[in-house]
Amino acid sequence: MSLPRSNYDPRRVCLAPFPSWSLGKHKRTMGIYLAGGLFALANWTFLDAAILSAHAHAPYDDPQIPPPVHVSFVDWVPGISSLLGLLIINLIDKDRVRGDEGFGDARAVWRARLILFIGFALMAGGLAGSVTVLVLKYVLKEYAEQYQYYGYANVSQNVALMLSAVVLWISQSVSGEYEYNLSI
Amino acid sequence: MGHAGIKTVILLSFVLAVGFLMIILSCALWSNWLPLLVALIFVLAPLPNAVFAHCGGDDFTTDYEGSGPVDLGRFLTATVVVTGFALPLVLAHSEVIRPGACAMSIIGGGLVYGTIIAYSAAFKQEESDYE
Repeated sequence: MSLPRSNYDPRRVCLAPFPSWSLGKHKRTMGIYLAGGLFALANWTFLDAAILSAHAHAPYDDPQIPPPVHVSFVDWVPGISSLLGLLIINLIDKDRVRGDEGFGDARAVWRARLILFIGFALMAGGLAGSVTVLVLKYVLKEYAEQYQYYGYANVSQNVALMLSAVVLWISQSVSGEYEYNLSI
Repeated sequence: MGHAGIKTVILLSFVLAVGFLMIILSCALWSNWLPLLVALIFVLAPLPNAVFAHCGGDDFTTDYEGSGPVDLGRFLTATVVVTGFALPLVLAHSEVIRPGACAMSIIGGGLVYGTIIAYSAAFKQEESDYE
């Protein structure tokens, strides 16, 4: 819908039309599958830490010491924030964010960009929060490697959620050539 | 593969039975029936694709531009497939099931899902004729 406009838009800097539609469609499908896989991988990474913490036991040779730390609700907060950010980012209509005049009124574009900003802020906040939890709860208290894994799993969950959002965004806007050039 | 005949059906059903056998053995050998969830997950894996495949509008729009519901179906399918592989690994990591049961249920689940994929790929031609 916006393809003929962008060809002579003087504001666009990197512009080289993507040649083949069939390859683009294939890339889009693969990208969406990849994004779904990354999403599940992210959540299972963290759930692995949570389940491992729930089933944690003392070492077999020294059964007196209970595990010093467990995964609590604090660990869940960054993941929930990233999840909300992912949902918000993908609920935005991408043609509206692009801001082509004549598509909607200017206030709708402004609102769409604001909501998109909130989504990205939630994702970035989730990532930063997971690093914070890792440092404050696990690294600074110098737990054993076995327990620091909870924090690292949290960080990798949020990184993978962000990667999933990025892959989903790129693969859904393959048909518009502008974002495709940004992705390369 | 328009003329995928009775041999394909027999081979695929055999592989499917072997897959279910692996999963059930992985439960029964250690008398811990949690890996049976893997079979359920892999059977349910193609369901979102199947449900959302016909939400994509008519033939004119889906040719060059995918739609939201189809994308959602693919996303959910990939999520469920990765869940099917991740669940035994997580269970084995937290020592709920044995590593042997984990490996057997992953192999069995892969066989089941591969059978479903191969079946839908082999008989796609005849299905589209009827539509």
